[in-house]
Amino acid sequence: MTPLAIAGIGVCAPGMVDWTRAQTVLRAGVPTTFDPLPRLAPECLPPVERRRANATTRLAVSAAMQAVDGMIPEDVAQLRTVFSSSDGDGEVLASMLAALAQSPVVLSPTLFHNSVFNAPAGYWSIGAGAPAASITVSAGAASFVAGLREAHAQVLATGAPLLYVAFDAPFPVALASFARSAEPFACALRLQPVANGGNQGLGRIENLGSGRIDDERGESLPPHLRERFSANAAADALPLLLAIAQRRRARIPMPWLDGSRLWLDYVP
Amino acid sequence: MTNACGVGTGEVLRAMRAGASGLRPNDFAPAATLATWIGRVDAVDASPMPPEFAAYDCRNNRLAQLALEQDGFVTAVRGAARRHGAHRVGVFLGTTTSGILATELAYRAIATAQVDRDDSLSPQLYRCRHSLFATTEFVRTYLRLAGTAATVSTACSSSAKVFAAASRAIAAGDCDAAVVGGVDSLALSTLYGFHSLELLSRSPCRPCDANRDGISIGEAAGFALLDPGASSAVHLEGAGESSDAYHMSSPHPEGAGAARAMQSALCDAGLEAHGIDYINLHGTASRPNDAAEDRAILSVFGAGTPVSSSKGWTGHTLGAAGIMGALVAELALRQQWMPGTQNCESVDPALACAVVLASRPQRLRRVLCNAFGFGGTNCSLVLGLAP
Repeated sequence: MTPLAIAGIGVCAPGMVDWTRAQTVLRAGVPTTFDPLPRLAPECLPPVERRRANATTRLAVSAAMQAVDGMIPEDVAQLRTVFSSSDGDGEVLASMLAALAQSPVVLSPTLFHNSVFNAPAGYWSIGAGAPAASITVSAGAASFVAGLREAHAQVLATGAPLLYVAFDAPFPVALASFARSAEPFACALRLQPVANGGNQGLGRIENLGSGRIDDERGESLPPHLRERFSANAAADALPLLLAIAQRRRARIPMPWLDGSRLWLDYVP
Repeated sequence: MTNACGVGTGEVLRAMRAGASGLRPNDFAPAATLATWIGRVDAVDASPMPPEFAAYDCRNNRLAQLALEQDGFVTAVRGAARRHGAHRVGVFLGTTTSGILATELAYRAIATAQVDRDDSLSPQLYRCRHSLFATTEFVRTYLRLAGTAATVSTACSSSAKVFAAASRAIAAGDCDAAVVGGVDSLALSTLYGFHSLELLSRSPCRPCDANRDGISIGEAAGFALLDPGASSAVHLEGAGESSDAYHMSSPHPEGAGAARAMQSALCDAGLEAHGIDYINLHGTASRPNDAAEDRAILSVFGAGTPVSSSKGWTGHTLGAAGIMGALVAELALRQQWMPGTQNCESVDPALACAVVLASRPQRLRRVLCNAFGFGGTNCSLVLGLAP
């Protein structure tokens, strides 16, 4: 793997409404209260789209906005995007299933277009005025790494920075048995070739590959974070975020396909 | 390739050459209230899955299995797995709704009090049938592959983007070869969803026709093997992607995003516009979509390059539309034959491009195909004959 510099970062989850707050929680290393997220209203979305976008989209877009903080809009618009999610938007799914179970069926057009898996990516492109290419991928419990691999392959192919956004949210009660996650979680990483410099001290991902997994040396999350977020595929980012917040090297076993792991090496 | 025109490429090609549409009046029982036409694959209902895949048994995975077993595809993948190792062959599939029908029917059964619980709502069956990764996981397991994998779900550009994603994965060293494809099957959410947008035609869809009045939904599955080391008559020469950044469900009226995707595909292939001999349109037969695509092509290619849409044969197969376009492009190159536009009787005078009405023999070196989707997502591919 070619190393990737982390040029920007964003987080959105209970107790970690943004990266500033997340760093405090992650550095503290002790149990804390995880305040529920407020109703998110990402400023980059035009009012009509902000109203139409559902909570999962607003969660993902809120994380994405933080990762481009300080950039001029023209540069943000040029960023290709990669989105990943294990299960997409359960709230929209449950509403749609309920509507389809009625007789006669009455389905709202907005609900239908919000049901596409790439809805957060579509809203982001509208909000950021970003005509650049965008892809949304899923690989079940391995979705975070699948998206990171796609992001790496794109940076390698284009030599340009991109925005990687991972998101997953709990499903509503009617579909609670489906979803892996009990808490919403989104994170965004602005990634670029190391040669581009300007990594703003966020460090770099040196390696993402197979190799002997030695749990003795692997990173693990403090129990209070693991218990709360381990079922959320997007929160597989947490050990990496922890290492970034603590500015230390880390060798992190990342969930991959068939219950296997890939190593992620982080260098501050 | 499997769609409403046939099971396997031979049947599909015969139907297309005969000018026989695969569309029929809606007889999909769970959505029987909709007065529209659909592209249904009958063989899905009679294609049970092997017992070891019982957990995966649903319409979408049955359709995937049916298509995998055609055209010598399984044998070709086994060959690639022998050459590279099963762990070095990736799987990248596009879908929009995966096996959502199983959940839709379970929900309906519970709502109408036919049952008080349904196993389709269990976590395991959700994962194997309905989750976005379900069909990719099924196909990867069925083909006994152990390499990298992902579902690409970007609405109706999904299974065009898999070509771009798989090519990048090969270039990055994540795999040496890759199975790419798309699978989308009939479902309530898509049929009623497009109905809610007033996009469904009451007759068989008529792409580019002056009187076109909407789309016909179809189901389809198709696969291709990308193997840079293997010899093949047809190659992927380039891919281009863009976003409209305009509206969630309407195309940019001037087709600006679509034009950028086509430009980018040409650039990736190292070609000028005149290097393309034929364009297989996204061409869904929705009035604004066909008009926007026409303007986009005009801005990149001028009005001289022949174009046609295959949706009149198959319907719009959503997450499988990209792979259908790519496989029709491959057929056209292999057969040196240019498909026409089924069901189009008189071309809309507002369209500037050279719409091919009747299929005909044609010398072709390179073909471009388009796939666009909700969220303003665009992807164009260039396929060419090997030198």
